[in-house]
Amino acid sequence: MKMMWFHLMPYPDLPENFNKENRSVWVDIDPALFDAEVMADTYDKYIGQLVFAEDCGFDGICVNEHHNNGYGLMPSPNLIASILASKTSRAAITVLGNSVALYNPPVRIAEEFAMLDVMSRGRLVAGFPVGTAMDTCYSYSENPGTLRQKYAEGIDLIRQAWSAEKVFAFNGKFTQLRTVNPVPRPMQKPGPPIWIPGGGSVETWDYCAQNDFVYGALTYYGYKQVRETVGGFWDRVDANGKDRNPHRLALTQFIGVADTDAEAQKLYREPAEYFFNRSLHVHPGYTDAPGYTTEASTRAKYKSQVRATVRAKQANHDLTWEEMVENGYVVIGSPDTVRETLEAACTELNVGHLCTMLQFGNMSDELTRYNTQMFGDKVAPALKTLHAGWDDPWWPQYAVGGTRYDKARG
Amino acid sequence: MPDVLYLFGIYGHPELSPAMKAVEAAGYNVVVPSVPGFDGKSGFTAPEQYLDWYTIWWDAIDALGSGPYHVVGASLGGMVAAELAILRPEIVTSVSLLAPFGTFDASNPGHDIYAEVSAKRPPYLFAKDVPDAFVNRFAELGPEEFPVARYLCDTAAANMLWPFGERGLGKRLHRITQPRLTLWGELDVVSPVGLAQKWGGAEVIAGAGHLMEWDAPEEVGGKLIEFLAAQD
Repeated sequence: MKMMWFHLMPYPDLPENFNKENRSVWVDIDPALFDAEVMADTYDKYIGQLVFAEDCGFDGICVNEHHNNGYGLMPSPNLIASILASKTSRAAITVLGNSVALYNPPVRIAEEFAMLDVMSRGRLVAGFPVGTAMDTCYSYSENPGTLRQKYAEGIDLIRQAWSAEKVFAFNGKFTQLRTVNPVPRPMQKPGPPIWIPGGGSVETWDYCAQNDFVYGALTYYGYKQVRETVGGFWDRVDANGKDRNPHRLALTQFIGVADTDAEAQKLYREPAEYFFNRSLHVHPGYTDAPGYTTEASTRAKYKSQVRATVRAKQANHDLTWEEMVENGYVVIGSPDTVRETLEAACTELNVGHLCTMLQFGNMSDELTRYNTQMFGDKVAPALKTLHAGWDDPWWPQYAVGGTRYDKARG
Repeated sequence: MPDVLYLFGIYGHPELSPAMKAVEAAGYNVVVPSVPGFDGKSGFTAPEQYLDWYTIWWDAIDALGSGPYHVVGASLGGMVAAELAILRPEIVTSVSLLAPFGTFDASNPGHDIYAEVSAKRPPYLFAKDVPDAFVNRFAELGPEEFPVARYLCDTAAANMLWPFGERGLGKRLHRITQPRLTLWGELDVVSPVGLAQKWGGAEVIAGAGHLMEWDAPEEVGGKLIEFLAAQD
């Protein structure tokens, strides 16, 4: 199993009463809450943490895209990824990803991802999320009813642009280009591996299975809550006649490791409470854009109350630390506890790419690095042997990663 | 009996409004198109271009007959009615616009009902209680299907209006040459009454919200009947 280190890049200094005095951390968050000096320091620390993760033996480092957001400071993950491409040499640069419909024309993504792939010498994972309603429909005013059509067409264009040996014209419903000829083309041929972060839509499961893309179950609510989503994905993999290679699936998980379970409880409570009760304070109205969800997924939603229940709790801000731990939103404990929990979860869910989230909320740089090193040294080695019998055809061609990198030895 | 073509608003057409029932009772034959998406039927896919909507609406209108019509358009339907008068003047005898979408004022944008969860949207459309017709919208389809039908109906409306309901109509208004009545609810929070200026002014219906036909059926019905009678 591949170990990834995923950064959301949260703003670390939201006021304690944020969820009482503000409607939402997303879309219409008060810009006066952000301090440019804090931001500058934060970017420095967060980029340093991602680089440190490579040093600690993580196979990949991950960034993502959010807009108008207080817990995700990367409206352009490609800017961060370009720095990582330069500062690292082994880890997969995993951009999860670019919300395709927001780029006009989408060939811009073909260009920037190709640049990243060349700059990293073939270490890019290309993530193509639809993007949340908050990012796409409310922050960028994309029309929800056509978002997915535009997204799918954009991915077609990008893939053609990467692999075409000659200049071509593209006559889509949303994009028309007389001359498509991105320079550079990616180093990986026919292009970087494609991962699709998803939130549980039925169509996305089929889309991934049929096209042999990795499905990324990028949840904030942990391995227990995502069972239904993951089960749905594997059902569609079966239905499409594909194998159950665990590397078809990536999963995010908040994790806190310390010497003992008691110490972990002490260390990680505050940053977890900050994340779930301040950073995730999202106005529910920004989650319900008419047309964002397909008819099939809408129908399925009314047959499942699991996610609705989670959202309702979140909206009421009544998540306690005990609930976060008990429900698996955060896996915390000693190395043995965390390893056993994750081994069982990743076996049950058949996860081949574990996107660890070892920084969350207002976790300090010192604690983040401690957490990262503890996981890299004492948890990851055992987990890496999981699913060892499977190849990973979705891994960047030239990403080595995988072993602890001692800079002194080179 | 003269035909009145009624084009419904942002929340679909669960039944004829009390104001339009009054028009019907006054002797007018009111016809309403069945428009894909707004009918809540399974299989609806939003068209990729806004202009495609007018193919959909024109096809639905033409299925009712050849006209010409006195056209009454409310809310979203007001926007469609205005475009119909501009683009197909041969089938529009007169046009009555009830708080039409199609223009926007960034300094007075009104409340974005799509930034509310679906269950909380209806109260923003009315100054009074939400009428039963809208409370029970698509309820006849049963507990599993009615939320899906509502979602599809809202998807169609949102697809036409996103993000503001601004579709450049202000630039074309001078092309409306038919007799026109414009009404606006005094308490309209989603399409504020100040927007009436962009339409050359409107008669303001006191105490009414966006879907004024339900809030003030007697006054709105009376003004429609009076206007229609003046055209015959």
